[in-house]
Amino acid sequence: MKRHAQVLLLVLTGLGLLHAALFSDLCLRYVKEGLRPLLIASGVLLLLLGVAGAALDRAAPEAGPHAHAHAHGHDHSAAPRIAWLLFLPALSLLLYAPPALGAYTASHANSKAVPKEQRFDPLPATVPLPMTLTDFTARVQQDREQAVRGRSIRMTGFVTPAGRAGGWYLTRIIFTCCAADSQSVKVRMYGPPALPANTWVAVTGTWHPTGALGTKSATAALDVHRTEPISPPVNAYTDDLPLTPS
Amino acid sequence: MNKADELVGVVEEVALVAPTGHQGRRVTGRPLPVVIVTAAGSVAVLTLTGVGWLNQPAVAAWRTVCLAITVQALPFLLLGTVLSGAINAFVPAELFTRILPRSPALAVPVAGVAGVVLPGCECASVPVANSLIRRGVTPAAAFAFLLSAPAINPIVLTATAVAFPGSPAMVAARLLASLVTAAAMGWLWLWLGREEWLRPAVRHAGHRPGRSRWTEFRLGFQHDFLHAGGFLVLGAMAAATFNVAVPRSVLDTFSGSPWLSVLFLAALAVLLAVCSEADAFVAASLTGFSPTARLVFMVVGPMVDLKLIALQAGTFGRSFALRFSTATTVVAVTAGALIGGALL
Repeated sequence: MKRHAQVLLLVLTGLGLLHAALFSDLCLRYVKEGLRPLLIASGVLLLLLGVAGAALDRAAPEAGPHAHAHAHGHDHSAAPRIAWLLFLPALSLLLYAPPALGAYTASHANSKAVPKEQRFDPLPATVPLPMTLTDFTARVQQDREQAVRGRSIRMTGFVTPAGRAGGWYLTRIIFTCCAADSQSVKVRMYGPPALPANTWVAVTGTWHPTGALGTKSATAALDVHRTEPISPPVNAYTDDLPLTPS
Repeated sequence: MNKADELVGVVEEVALVAPTGHQGRRVTGRPLPVVIVTAAGSVAVLTLTGVGWLNQPAVAAWRTVCLAITVQALPFLLLGTVLSGAINAFVPAELFTRILPRSPALAVPVAGVAGVVLPGCECASVPVANSLIRRGVTPAAAFAFLLSAPAINPIVLTATAVAFPGSPAMVAARLLASLVTAAAMGWLWLWLGREEWLRPAVRHAGHRPGRSRWTEFRLGFQHDFLHAGGFLVLGAMAAATFNVAVPRSVLDTFSGSPWLSVLFLAALAVLLAVCSEADAFVAASLTGFSPTARLVFMVVGPMVDLKLIALQAGTFGRSFALRFSTATTVVAVTAGALIGGALL
């Protein structure tokens, strides 16, 4: 790989990172929010390096002492061919960034382990009660007090069709580091027909009685009374409380 | 996957078109236009024909995971190459010989414990280990450092403690098993390792008189970054393929037998290539498996995985990477199973 191409590659990679982390929220589709400062720093560093390379190489062209100093083939002025692969992520970030993970991944993943709660606080009296999918699952399967029985609950997430049997899940995908370690939380929805996959919705409904509430035999499922489409959140990889409806 | 194949095809063509003879020949303006024309051409082709199938759910998920692994690893790879560039250009070789014990057999465990100081995940440790060897550190000690650094630094241990609340034994077992594996691999290299498995470039020192240290630093850094970055993308593609193609629900079928589950999670750690800062959370989610199997997942993961094998093949040479990764997997599984059996 020639000097020009190396400079181009460094600049494009730097610009790609800056585009994803500084000028837009693209990076949140792939990595956690906390990595953003590091991505910006990396982008700046690569950009500076590319610009410095371009300026310095022009000032002192390749006929310098290093061009022929290495007779045994490890010449620092020529990067190996494998480096061409780096153009893929750089151009992908700049021109055609893939979407956040969605229904396809959720339908192929097994569900996230819901943490064991020692004890549950009393639920607030709000109607409908906003809950996260994780909270709802924990309440249904672990809360001996059966506090969710009969409560009207509001949750948000995206639609994952349940396959051949029909029906659908309200879903969230959560990761700790990057999209490669994603896990999904799913709650089965009963009632209205499935919207297209990956539609973000807010649903309101009550627990769908299957199994004994408060034990492992209960399934996290909801009899849906109302669904309304919402706009996708900026950071889709969280299990947030839905905004309280006004 | 198709997109990558097509683009790699294009890339290959470009690489063939651009002449690669680099022994001091002046470049006369040809590569840049070629690159620009080809890049513009492939972009045009993609916008005209490709957009439809690029957005098919499986392809889109593959692109997302692949890009996620790359983006997540880039800052750490940069950190590693900056450190290794700095070690190469600025740190005198005598420093390491003064710090590390004379005898290689003693230097191995010391270097393994020194892995605590390099924060971050495994991508940073490969270039640093490379530069240590270039600065005259015995390869056995550098490899012990390479293996232990991503597994035992404070960030990773904290993440493990958070992922397994109420079981400090898991953190202790991870620390111990990783250190034991790193030291064992260092000693194994002293016993059986051969210098000629390493690519020649690794063996000679970086700084030459007559060139400014800053130029040296910049060029070395640029070379190492581009080189390792290419292999990172290759490894990310492989890992993303497994990540998308193998449904997680298959995993639970293996959780019944204790021995199979240990081997299965070791293989999974290699194939998934989850960053060492996150693997504890993935391990915690594999609830059907025994604690020992999950420990093995966390011991193998930071030491051997697809993107690491690609990175090592790029840095130290293919014949080294294959032997080293195989041996490390065996040692790590054994150490993880024994220590897990004793402590968990």
